[in-house]
Amino acid sequence: MVDLETAVMTVEMIEASQLGTQAIAAALAVSITGLAAAWAEYGIGSAAVGATAENRDVFGMALLLTVIPETIVIFGLVVSLLILF
Amino acid sequence: MLRPRKMSHLLIAASRDQMETIIRELYSHNVFHIKVFTEKEDEEHEGLTIGPPLSGAGEASSRLIQIRSLEGMFGVDRESLEPEQRRQASALKALIDRDLPVIWEQIEGLLARRAACDAALKEHEQQIRELAPFAMAPIELDLYRGYENIAVFTGRIPRDVEIPAPHEKFFSASKEGTFIAVFVPVAYRDDVERCLLDAHFAALPVPMGEGHPKDLIAEHTSRISFIREEIERLDAKIEEIKKQQTEFIVACEELLTAEVEQAEAPLRFATTQQAFIAEGWVPTTEVDRIKSRLSLSTGGRALVTEIEEPGDQHHAPVEYDNPSFAQPTELIIDTYSRPRYDELDPTIMVSIIFPLFFGIILGDIGYGLILLGFALGLRRVLKGEAIQNLLGVLRNASIFSIIFGVLYAEFFGCHPGATDFALWHPIVSRHLEIGTFAQGHQADIILLLVIAVWIGILQITLGRILNAVNHAQHREMVGVMAQLGWIAMMYGILTIIWSIAPIPLMPDLTGAPALVMGLNVATLAGALLLVFGAVAIMRESALELIEIPTIISHAMSYTRLSAVGLSSVAIAMVVNLIAIEMLIAPQLEHLTAVGIVFIILGILVLLVGHLLNTALGLLGGGLQSLRLQYVEFFTKFYKGGGERYNPFGMRKKFTED
Repeated sequence: MVDLETAVMTVEMIEASQLGTQAIAAALAVSITGLAAAWAEYGIGSAAVGATAENRDVFGMALLLTVIPETIVIFGLVVSLLILF
Repeated sequence: MLRPRKMSHLLIAASRDQMETIIRELYSHNVFHIKVFTEKEDEEHEGLTIGPPLSGAGEASSRLIQIRSLEGMFGVDRESLEPEQRRQASALKALIDRDLPVIWEQIEGLLARRAACDAALKEHEQQIRELAPFAMAPIELDLYRGYENIAVFTGRIPRDVEIPAPHEKFFSASKEGTFIAVFVPVAYRDDVERCLLDAHFAALPVPMGEGHPKDLIAEHTSRISFIREEIERLDAKIEEIKKQQTEFIVACEELLTAEVEQAEAPLRFATTQQAFIAEGWVPTTEVDRIKSRLSLSTGGRALVTEIEEPGDQHHAPVEYDNPSFAQPTELIIDTYSRPRYDELDPTIMVSIIFPLFFGIILGDIGYGLILLGFALGLRRVLKGEAIQNLLGVLRNASIFSIIFGVLYAEFFGCHPGATDFALWHPIVSRHLEIGTFAQGHQADIILLLVIAVWIGILQITLGRILNAVNHAQHREMVGVMAQLGWIAMMYGILTIIWSIAPIPLMPDLTGAPALVMGLNVATLAGALLLVFGAVAIMRESALELIEIPTIISHAMSYTRLSAVGLSSVAIAMVVNLIAIEMLIAPQLEHLTAVGIVFIILGILVLLVGHLLNTALGLLGGGLQSLRLQYVEFFTKFYKGGGERYNPFGMRKKFTED
């Protein structure tokens, strides 16, 4: 015999778990790309600060190089927004 | 506007006896950018050498060093000083010879005395440090010395020890440390020493002096307080002289700097035995004035001509020529690199686009107002050109932030009508479903992202067009075609995408007449554009084709305008949710003593949260939109590397002729 009450609950639960999976996917998209961007910027940033200390004129170029990997996390953020909405 | 100020290449030739007159005249006008002469061993430069400095250069330089070291001692900040009145240069010159040595001697004497006091202070403090352990024992210092048959051990030890010999011992432990003094017959010295060392004994030498250590410490302490008073007196005297003489000293520095710069100018000129040649740049509008003034002051004995050399267009110094609202943005361009004389100056475009992007990212009436107040307030307080420019940029940016705040209908992350009534509806909404302050508005995420990509497409197109203009000015038609090729390629790719998938706010070309395999006419048109673009680019340089993926990645990169903005909105909404809805509002319904604590906590969370978000917004909005200019926009057309226009002369602040 089929328990209708349980069946209705199950559908809701599936929906809820789908939502949860979406949220986890979105979180992974932001967090992993965030880590990647941070890792990339870590190396560039420390070299850039060193270069700027030697010669202040390269500050603009140093800033530019440092923020280049930022795109990785922005793409992650965009993907997660697309997943969520 | 899009061009730097127009410059003319000027050549001045005259006999050496006119050199000083000409230098003084040029210096007073402050428009002549000297092109430095370098000695070369070729035919063209034969017989030309660097000129010797004018007489008096050495003396002025050594005076200047004195003045600068005085400024260093006083910690004078010239930028922030506003003179009450300007001093006459001629009167000041006489004063320098008379007063400067006196001030110098006075200050030197005071500083020498202060240094001696400092040294004495250190000496006494050292004595006290040495005496302190001995003060723990009630033994006078002379009792530690002068024995023939007794060995004395004094020092620190972690704990008390048993001495394996007939002895006299004193041990004391307090929070400053331990002290031990042991007196043993000389015969047992080695045994006792070994025993002490086993217990980690660290010997301390007996300080000089006689009497009880406590009395000696008291004496040193009183000396120290006496010396401190003396130092205070000296400092007050130095401060007084500083107050009296600061204005004189900065005026002297200005005068002497001018003297030295003029005296050393010949080092940048080409000279022969009898004559000299000065080459340089003058703004074209000033040429006639300089010519007439020079011929007037030398009685027509100087040759001043405009010349044109190949490469002039490339090497001329660059002075910006922008309307006042765009001038603060020159800082942003200079941080990257000053434009070359022969390329377009992007300042005015960036001065509009940068605040626009900032506003798109941080579009919030509340944050905008905070930053506007911050920028206007600090602009009054802080001096200095760079910081003024930076605050000017911030002011423009925060105005745009407020404008976009109105468009988004955002006030500290809330809908402005969050209280009860809807004031207006956002044109584009960024409100997220966090808390109830969004008034039921939902974020148009896809719309926001697509708008951002559109902005990117337009700016990249603009960049490519500007590059084409730069090439056209040098009559490099291949370069122009390559830039048009890049534009064609970008729109080709876009057309192909549009013909495959419908995207909101973008042309839907999926309905175009179909061809084969699900492709339609629009796809074909896009492919043709792509091929044309590739050919045009390859004509300039085939290697450039590896840049093709950047067409997509750069356009997508603009989505940060929406994404970073949304994250700042999310933080603001979370702060509101925690502070107002979770902490404050429930307590207000039934006010209790504990409730008041929660309300205070809520207000604290609200303030700190929004303050933090303002800072993050400033950083995020500023850096991200700056990066879009530097990486995505400038790489399309801008090279930079121009020489800053630095005229020979000085804007006088403290002196006048």
